[in-house]
Amino acid sequence: KFFKDLFIGVPWWLSQLSVAFYFLFLQRLCDYVCDLLLEESNVQPVSTPVTVCGDIHGQFYDLCELFRTGGQVPDTNYIFMGDFVDRGYYSLETFTYLLALKAKWPDRITLLRGNHESRQITQVYGFYDECQTKYGNANAWRYCTKVFDILLLYFQLCYPFRAFCDLVWSDPEDVDTWAISPRGAGWLFGAKVTNEFVHINNLKLICRAHQLVHEGYKFMFDEKLVTVWSAPNYCYRCGNIASIMVFKDVNTREPKLFRAVPDSERVIPPRTTTPYFL
Amino acid sequence: MGKWKRSQAYADYIGFILTLNEGVKGKKLTFEYKVSEAIEKLVALLNTLDRWIDETPPVDQPSRFGNKAYRTWYGKLDEEAENLVATVVPTHLAAAVPEVAVYLKESVGNSTRIDYGTGHEAAFAAFLCCLCKIGVLRVDDQIAIVFKVFNRYLEVMRKLQKTYRMEPAGSQGVWGLDDFQFLPFIWGSSQLIDHPYLEPRHFVDEKAVNENHKDYMFLECILFITEMKTGPFAEHSNQLWNISAVPSWSKVNQGLIRMYKAECLEKFPVIQHFKFGSLLPIHPVTSC
Repeated sequence: KFFKDLFIGVPWWLSQLSVAFYFLFLQRLCDYVCDLLLEESNVQPVSTPVTVCGDIHGQFYDLCELFRTGGQVPDTNYIFMGDFVDRGYYSLETFTYLLALKAKWPDRITLLRGNHESRQITQVYGFYDECQTKYGNANAWRYCTKVFDILLLYFQLCYPFRAFCDLVWSDPEDVDTWAISPRGAGWLFGAKVTNEFVHINNLKLICRAHQLVHEGYKFMFDEKLVTVWSAPNYCYRCGNIASIMVFKDVNTREPKLFRAVPDSERVIPPRTTTPYFL
Repeated sequence: MGKWKRSQAYADYIGFILTLNEGVKGKKLTFEYKVSEAIEKLVALLNTLDRWIDETPPVDQPSRFGNKAYRTWYGKLDEEAENLVATVVPTHLAAAVPEVAVYLKESVGNSTRIDYGTGHEAAFAAFLCCLCKIGVLRVDDQIAIVFKVFNRYLEVMRKLQKTYRMEPAGSQGVWGLDDFQFLPFIWGSSQLIDHPYLEPRHFVDEKAVNENHKDYMFLECILFITEMKTGPFAEHSNQLWNISAVPSWSKVNQGLIRMYKAECLEKFPVIQHFKFGSLLPIHPVTSC
């Protein structure tokens, strides 16, 4: 709920004090989680059972549905593959909720970095605007982007393997080996390089997100790679299902599907005037 | 981005958008205007693209999101683009055809990702701008460019988006104006300036939209959004919802132009794909 709604009838000084406390708590939460993340290694081993989740993009009410589908933390162990922010209304609530879960149960939730966990990207796709709209300044954005810098790039289910990079932008595609990505960042990679990578590193499966999937999840390349997408009815138009991938153990996986929560279970933000129209 | 903002291409592009904006001020789509041969040929080109959609129905194949038949449709355009442009450009200007054809190909979405966004729309505006620069389209064609050609382009794009279930390309979600289009909101709001009874607050009224969408591009856009998106308008199109509270169409129009410059033209993820050439050059503006 927006703080503004809470302040009807409240003296101005009290509302300002509450906001000041919010920023203080948020800054402390971000610093606390930064310290936790710095303790984790670049290649973080995670034990099964674990549930792997894809893009959320500020769809907070749908994130709640995700937890109802997969089980609450700490009962269920989770890995989130990034893209918590941008596009949706509630990037701030989404990210800070996940941070709070991480702070409380650090070994029951792993947060990875997506391509949207970046200062440049969040200034284009909405997270920065959300922080400005809600609080009139960029403080919240600044504290959160500090955490982005430290988020892990990847995890691995208890097997050693070599480091790799640039995966936050790349996509699997039916190409021969590598190809230029139409996104203008990252690459397209095909079955051959995926097979090679999986073989050399003795992996069973590459889990990734980053691309909208109508059915919520999609296996490719002879089931060596899976895209998991966790934002249902993306942009209120795509009508897609969302999914999370439940790993009982390294060999046993099961997708769990969920839909966007009905309109009656959402709160619409109040009307505002964008600076362009003043 | 600095180089782009100071470039001849930027100056020409924004000049083109603003000139057309003035040209359609206060006019309905049914306004009487001259239709030149070049305009007719462009409409015929767009009709061909439309026909190809009918000839390339969606396929029943597993896909991530968009329908793969789009790639077949795009393949036709890729192959035929220069021929199509050659039907519009007189033979003595044939040298311009390859360059102009690139903008046409860029204006219909991306074949690999099966997506479409305001960058693709800008490529179509650039295509039209190029045709003006080489003299195929003239000052007289101003109104027809928006009301006949661009409007037809929008119809074809909407058909593509629906038929092949295209993904929004680089959408700003609830923080953006719309997942797919921007220019028809700018020119559309200019149409409504000084309207005797329709105010911005009316565009969120279903009855007002149903009664007037055939005359006004802005309302046609709203109608399409309400057709394609689910849930309350205030939720799925919050920026537009906010804009409906602006007191006048004139203010809406000015605000949208500012927003277009800031959110589309000055954002790297959009402009990184923009093509520069001899007609829309990257070199700095040369003073007259």
